[in-house]
Amino acid sequence: MTMNSQKTIKEAVVILALALITAFSINFISPRGIALVGQWDTSQGVVSARTKNDVVHEEREINDIMDAKAVFDEHTAVFVDARRREEFEEGHVKGAVPFPVKEYENIIESFIESNPFDVPLVIYCSGRECEDSHVLASYLSDEGYLNARVMVDGFPLWQSKGFPVEK
Amino acid sequence: MIRESYTRVSGTKEWIELILRWLVGCVFIYASFHKISDPALFAKSVYSYALFPSGLINLIAIVIPYIELLSGLFLVFGVYPRGASSIINGLLVLFIVCLSINLIRGHQFDCGCLSAGEEMDKPTRWLLIRDILYLMACAYVFFYKGRRRLSLMQ
Repeated sequence: MTMNSQKTIKEAVVILALALITAFSINFISPRGIALVGQWDTSQGVVSARTKNDVVHEEREINDIMDAKAVFDEHTAVFVDARRREEFEEGHVKGAVPFPVKEYENIIESFIESNPFDVPLVIYCSGRECEDSHVLASYLSDEGYLNARVMVDGFPLWQSKGFPVEK
Repeated sequence: MIRESYTRVSGTKEWIELILRWLVGCVFIYASFHKISDPALFAKSVYSYALFPSGLINLIAIVIPYIELLSGLFLVFGVYPRGASSIINGLLVLFIVCLSINLIRGHQFDCGCLSAGEEMDKPTRWLLIRDILYLMACAYVFFYKGRRRLSLMQ
């Protein structure tokens, strides 16, 4: 190995070591830091990097679509669609209320007026790789909703199961 | 006369090296910002490549942005330019391999390269061509033998 390449390797090692120290230190201190290992297994629920203020709470999740259907059949819960409005218009769970997360500020007042805090909510988006339903569940729980749950399989599986949908 | 033209050529090469080093350095500094500001979102981009084991996704998302940032800064200031350019070349080869695999298997994903989410619309082959151009620029910086302009530690 030449002197030059040895020098280059040493330089690269110094830079990489500095980068590693900086990366892990800042990740540890920063409120936006993430866990060293995330939840990337869709069979376990919605995937998430597990941040310090993670909105994904497993206890909110309805993991089996049949359980969600059972709740639907009881007609006591309000289904809330967290996807974009265009997606909602292309098809949604029958009777679901559109509530795109990005329009939260515009929608929340009228939502509270028509839905009392004790009504059970079943929130969904596009499936296990989509966090919007969890984000919305977290916001609505903060507003005071006592029972905001997330149908993790979202609209695609609901539709493919042949459960009630409308446009 | 020969000496004069030799000086002119090496002068031009010095400027080319400086411009390419700054270009690649700035691109990597810029590319690191959105990843550092939202590591969870970047982790999701890494996940969307569908190439890495679950246990490594967060570690990649934590470390890569700072490797990009520091290597970029070292290039711009001309500190250890060969070491920094060898790291960036390594990263670019890694990106090119990942993009190529997904291009070949037709896997749609968010590359997370320069800004999260927005690049979904850009065809993977353009991202690939862009990375190959950066690789060529950075290889020039790596193999450059002469004096480097505005370089704090050659």
